[in-house]
Amino acid sequence: MRGIKLCLITLFAILLSCPAALFAAEPAPAGLDFAVSPASVRIGATYDGTQLTVTGKAPAGSDVVVRFVGARSELHMKEKGKALGLLWMNLGSLTIENVPSVYLVAASRPLDEIGAAAAPYRLERVAQDVAIAPAEKDTPVNRQELIKLRREEGLYREVKAAVTLSPAEGASQDFRAVMPVPSKLAPGAYTVEVLALKDGKLAASGSSNVQVELVGVPAALADVAFNHSLIYGILATIVALLSGLAIGLVFQSKGAH
Amino acid sequence: MAIPLHLYLPIAGNSVNVVAVLGLGVAVGLLSGIFGVGGGFLMTPLLIMMGIPPTVAAASDSNQIVGASTSGTLAHFKMGNVDFKMGLLLLVGGVLGGTLGVQVIKILRAMGNADFLINITYVLMLGFVGGYMFLESLQALRKNKKPAKPQAESAEPAKPKKESAYARCIKAMPWQMDFPRSGIRLSVLMPLVLGVLVGVLAAIMGVGGGFIMVPVMVYLLRMPMHVVVGTSLFQILFTCINVTIMQSVENHTVDFVLALILLLGSSFGAQVGAKIGKRLHGDQLKILLATLVLVVMGKMLYGLLAQPSVLLAYMGGH
Repeated sequence: MRGIKLCLITLFAILLSCPAALFAAEPAPAGLDFAVSPASVRIGATYDGTQLTVTGKAPAGSDVVVRFVGARSELHMKEKGKALGLLWMNLGSLTIENVPSVYLVAASRPLDEIGAAAAPYRLERVAQDVAIAPAEKDTPVNRQELIKLRREEGLYREVKAAVTLSPAEGASQDFRAVMPVPSKLAPGAYTVEVLALKDGKLAASGSSNVQVELVGVPAALADVAFNHSLIYGILATIVALLSGLAIGLVFQSKGAH
Repeated sequence: MAIPLHLYLPIAGNSVNVVAVLGLGVAVGLLSGIFGVGGGFLMTPLLIMMGIPPTVAAASDSNQIVGASTSGTLAHFKMGNVDFKMGLLLLVGGVLGGTLGVQVIKILRAMGNADFLINITYVLMLGFVGGYMFLESLQALRKNKKPAKPQAESAEPAKPKKESAYARCIKAMPWQMDFPRSGIRLSVLMPLVLGVLVGVLAAIMGVGGGFIMVPVMVYLLRMPMHVVVGTSLFQILFTCINVTIMQSVENHTVDFVLALILLLGSSFGAQVGAKIGKRLHGDQLKILLATLVLVVMGKMLYGLLAQPSVLLAYMGGH
C-alpha cells in the first residue's frame, strides 16, 4: 500500500515538473497565490546578485518549498580522465540536455526532515532529470559531477533557512521566502514555484515567471557585441591602444622631470 | 557618488570585484613590462577562478594585453629597447605560422588525442627552455660576479663566445642584414623562419607565445636581453590586436568592461615593470624569467598529476 502511495506521489511530481501549459487540464492540487518582489530582475552596471522575496499564503500545517529555476538547455562538456594511468586531462566529450541554468530551492524545514515528499525538488532530482549522450558517458558519476560543478559556480543551491512561516490563522498560514539570486545570471525567463506539502502530499502549488533583463550600460554593450561585432572588436582595440598610450605618456612626462 | 565595488560584466555574464581585477592587472602588467611576456598564463586561470567563463577570460585577456603592451612598448621604445626591423620580420613569420598552426591543430583534433599531445609538449618544452635558461644565466652570473652598470646595455652577449658551428652556420646563410638596434648581423631568413615556428607553436598551444619567443630571441637570434623584452612587447601588441578582433567577430567572447579594468591596472604595471627591468642586469633578467618559466611548468605539471575537484568541464576551456 505504502509503495503504491509513494509511486503515485512520484508520478504526480513528474507530471508537475512538466510544462504547465501541457497539463493544464489535469486535476491539480489547489492553486497557491503568491507575490514575488521585485517582479523582475534588472541587471545594470553595478548588479552583484540580488534577493527575491516571495510572500503568500499556504494551507495551515504544510511545509513550504520554494524554487527558482532557470531555462533548461543543452550543455557541451569535456570529461576528465587519466591518460596513461597518470595524467589528468580532458578525454571524452559529452552532451547533457535538460540542464537548468540556475536551480535554487529552499524550504520551511530542512529538506531532509520533510523526506520523500520533498525529494522531487532536491538537487539530486535535477541530476536524474538530465539526459546524457552518448550513452556510454551516462554514468552516475557524470551526473553527480554536473551538480557539483554547478554548485561550485553558485548556480545550484539548496538554500538553508530561507523560508519562514507565520503562525496559522484558520485554514492558512503566511510564508515568506528570501531567495539569493546569484551574480552569474544570464538574461531570460526564470520560474518561481511555491509548493505546499502536507502529510507527504502536494497540497497546493503555484508558479510565476520572473523576467531577467539587461539594462543601461550592460544592455548597450551586449547589443553592440552581438549585433555589430566587428565594430565592437575594433572599438575595444582602439580604446585599449589609446589607454595604453595615454598611461605611457603620463609616465613619460613624469619620468622626464 | 561612491565608486561601486562590483561591476557586472555583460559578456562574461557575472559580476566581479573591481579592486581585485585591478590588482590582477597591475601584477600581470609588471611581469609583461619586466620580461616582455603577455601574462596570459597567469591571467586566464585567475579570471576563471573569479567566475569568468574560460573563453571570455582568454579573449578579454588579449584585449587587455593590447593596452599593456602599448604602454610597455612605449616605455621600452623610450629607452631604445625596441628593434622594429626584427620585430616586423618576426611578426610576418608569426602570422604565417599562426595560420599554419590552426590547420595543424585541426588535423591533430581529427586524430583524436590532441589535448594529450599539446599538454605533454607544453610541459616538456617549458621545462627544457626554463632549465636551459636557468643554468646558462646562473653560469654567466657566477663568471661575472660584479654586476655591470645598471643601464640597458646591448653589449653583454657581444663578448665573443667560442665560434660554434651554430654561429658559423648563421654567417653562411644568404641575405645577411644588419640589425643596428640589436647590434647583430643575420640572414633575413632567420627571424622569418623562427617567427613561423613560434607562430605554429603558439597557435597549437593556445598561448600568446611570449614564453617561447623570448628565449628564441635570446638564444637563437642572440639579441641582447633588454632589446628582446621591448621587441617582444612590440610584437605581442600586434598579435593581440588580431586576436581581439577575431574573437569579437567569431565568438563574441571579448568582455570590454573586464578588459578595460584589467588594462588600466596592467598599463600602469607595465610602466613600472619596464623601469624595474632597466635596473636589472641582462643575466639577472634571464634567471628571473627562467624561474618564472619553471614555476609555470610546475603548475601545469601539478594540474596534470593531481585529481581535479570536478571531473567535468565546459567545452572551450584549455
